Amino acid sequence: MSIQRPLSDSWLDSPVDYPHDGGCQAAIDPDFKAFLAPMEARRMGRLLKRAVAVSDTVLAEASVSDPDAILTATGLGCVENTEAFLNALCEEGEDVMMPTAFMQSTHNTIGSLLAIRRKCHGYNSTYAHKGVSFESAVLDAVVQLRLGAVSNALVGAFDEMTPTYFGFLAKTGFVGQPGMVRASDSAVAMVLSAVPAEKALCELMDVRLMYRPAAGKVASYIMGQEGVDAIVAGINGSEKNDKIYEEIASATCLPVMGYKHLFGENYGASAAGVYAAVRCLHSGRFASLHAGEMALPEIRSVAVVNHDGRSVSVVKLGSLC
Amino acid sequence: MVRHKPIVVTGAGVVCAIGNCKGQVAEALRSCRSGISTVEYLDTSHKEFPVGEVRMTNTEMRAAAGIAPGEVANRSSLMAVIAAGEALAQAGLACIPEGVRVGLVTGTTVGGMDMSERHYRSFKDSDEHAAYIATHDCGSTNELIADRFPGLEMVTTVSTACSSAANAVMLGANLIDAGMADVMVVGGTECLTRFHLNGFKSLMILDREPCRPFDISRAGLNLGEGAAYLVIETEESARRRGVPVVCRLSGWGNACDAFHQTATSADGEGAYLSMKAALESAGLQPSDIDYINAHGTSTPNNDESEAVAVERLFAGCMPAISSTKSYTGHTTSASGAIESVICLLALEGGFMPANLNLTQPLDRGIRPVMPDAAGNAPSANLKNILCNSFGFGGNDSSLIFSRFDD
Repeated sequence: MSIQRPLSDSWLDSPVDYPHDGGCQAAIDPDFKAFLAPMEARRMGRLLKRAVAVSDTVLAEASVSDPDAILTATGLGCVENTEAFLNALCEEGEDVMMPTAFMQSTHNTIGSLLAIRRKCHGYNSTYAHKGVSFESAVLDAVVQLRLGAVSNALVGAFDEMTPTYFGFLAKTGFVGQPGMVRASDSAVAMVLSAVPAEKALCELMDVRLMYRPAAGKVASYIMGQEGVDAIVAGINGSEKNDKIYEEIASATCLPVMGYKHLFGENYGASAAGVYAAVRCLHSGRFASLHAGEMALPEIRSVAVVNHDGRSVSVVKLGSLC
Repeated sequence: MVRHKPIVVTGAGVVCAIGNCKGQVAEALRSCRSGISTVEYLDTSHKEFPVGEVRMTNTEMRAAAGIAPGEVANRSSLMAVIAAGEALAQAGLACIPEGVRVGLVTGTTVGGMDMSERHYRSFKDSDEHAAYIATHDCGSTNELIADRFPGLEMVTTVSTACSSAANAVMLGANLIDAGMADVMVVGGTECLTRFHLNGFKSLMILDREPCRPFDISRAGLNLGEGAAYLVIETEESARRRGVPVVCRLSGWGNACDAFHQTATSADGEGAYLSMKAALESAGLQPSDIDYINAHGTSTPNNDESEAVAVERLFAGCMPAISSTKSYTGHTTSASGAIESVICLLALEGGFMPANLNLTQPLDRGIRPVMPDAAGNAPSANLKNILCNSFGFGGNDSSLIFSRFDD
């Protein structure tokens, strides 16, 4: 769920275009009635509703009703609720009594809601580390899959961008600069399973987090052991942000595509990058990610590369087709 | 269940209401001295709720952590730097060498909220405190910590409320077991804020008296603050690096209660499952556990559910049990790590922390640890300790620490 049509792969062939003006663009919501009864929906903030909708969708697609693990990623948590509580503290002082807003402001409220709805007692954890929150959740899922501790995992990234928070983050340069893609919200989910899996869309070969690495180190990892055919990177139009991707591109000599021109920028955006790469590998069609003029080779594997200013994350995906 | 490589603790550090290092914390535990008192450091109008504050101003913390007055920091990051520094020094990693893959995982939920709530109005109106916008979130606060320890291979942040630090330990252990890291520095930090003090007040689970875990008259929790970290690695790695082993991290488990966002189920299902998973992970039987450091927040709900879960799992071989939250307060995201360090100190020091303020225990067959005749923590030769951390949202985590016999 993003600024492209929700729960749809229509962006592969006919994406919604947005100008690179550093503005703020709200995600497009589906009709939540398909997922939630009115009473339930009334008690949930927007981000929680989106989380339920994408999670239910992917679990149905993967034919999994009770995942062994639920891993959630969110850079800021439910900002709407945090703001409501903070504003009330500022306006009313310490007489404030807003139990629901407080309860729904903690970062793990999303992951626990997903478990409560499905009575899922399995492993449950939440990662909140800016633009690599999603890859942290993937890392946890992958390590447990490799150890045989779980045989499948629901992994999702959920972030919202309120107008107030957009204003704050524009002051830090993370969003809102001229020439940048728009800031957005997103809710992305996927099911990871131990091999072999019947309905697999592609293979998740490896995931790596690196803290303050030199571009050369990232390039070596991308090209090493299991090399890839192309890079999908978190390019967003900001010179400062895009610099490391250019360095990695030079060092690897691999074609580089972007995804934020489609899905926008927020702390959960990298999950949209992985989602997009999965769908492209499965369909064999990369045209919507390919922003440049260079002809693409045949792409059977990609490295999805993102950074959050200090950490660099790489998710290596391979085609099963 | 999965059996894992032998994983050991080679360093530990802690800052909390009963001490600014392990030695001070051990001393307070041995003499049954609580750190709960009237609020002094947090700027709040709610003086009626006792809290467990770290006895340092931010200025004093900066001095202790070696962080200059002008550098961006928040109270959570300051405490964490002190605690992580103590742990890394003990593990011989004050300077992280090349070729050793050391990762940092921190559990936190408030992050830089102490600064954000102070400067919120100015965030909107000016650029004066923009640096604190950038360090508001959990991950950015963790990076303030990480940047004090050059050479880290990877850094990430867990946020599962009161089980955050325990889950950080678990991720670290799994990464080491899978060969994806050599050494992990794992723990948590949380400072007091008006935000969550008033949040817990809204939920009506704060006590106006010092808390009484497992007592039938218990009426709620006292909030606390602090930070703690463990350094963990394989036994083989510790031998290779030539560092002494503190104890084993022999097992870990995580399960979800899947019942309610803030209340726990009557049969303590999540707690039961996480303790059971930890035992299986350690290859131990319930009868092997000598002492349980309970989550024991002192709310009517938690202590009852936890006692029910303990009774279900340990029927016929109930270990001694105590909650140390009557010493430190409920340190929320940091509690899993602070209480892990307390378990280490108990193992090393041959004592069990007493359950304070207990006059009449709830009726679930539990065996609370009481002070000895001299009013001190009773001596005990402990082999295996179970440490529980149960978070809002039903995020239940349990760790098992064991004596290291060479």
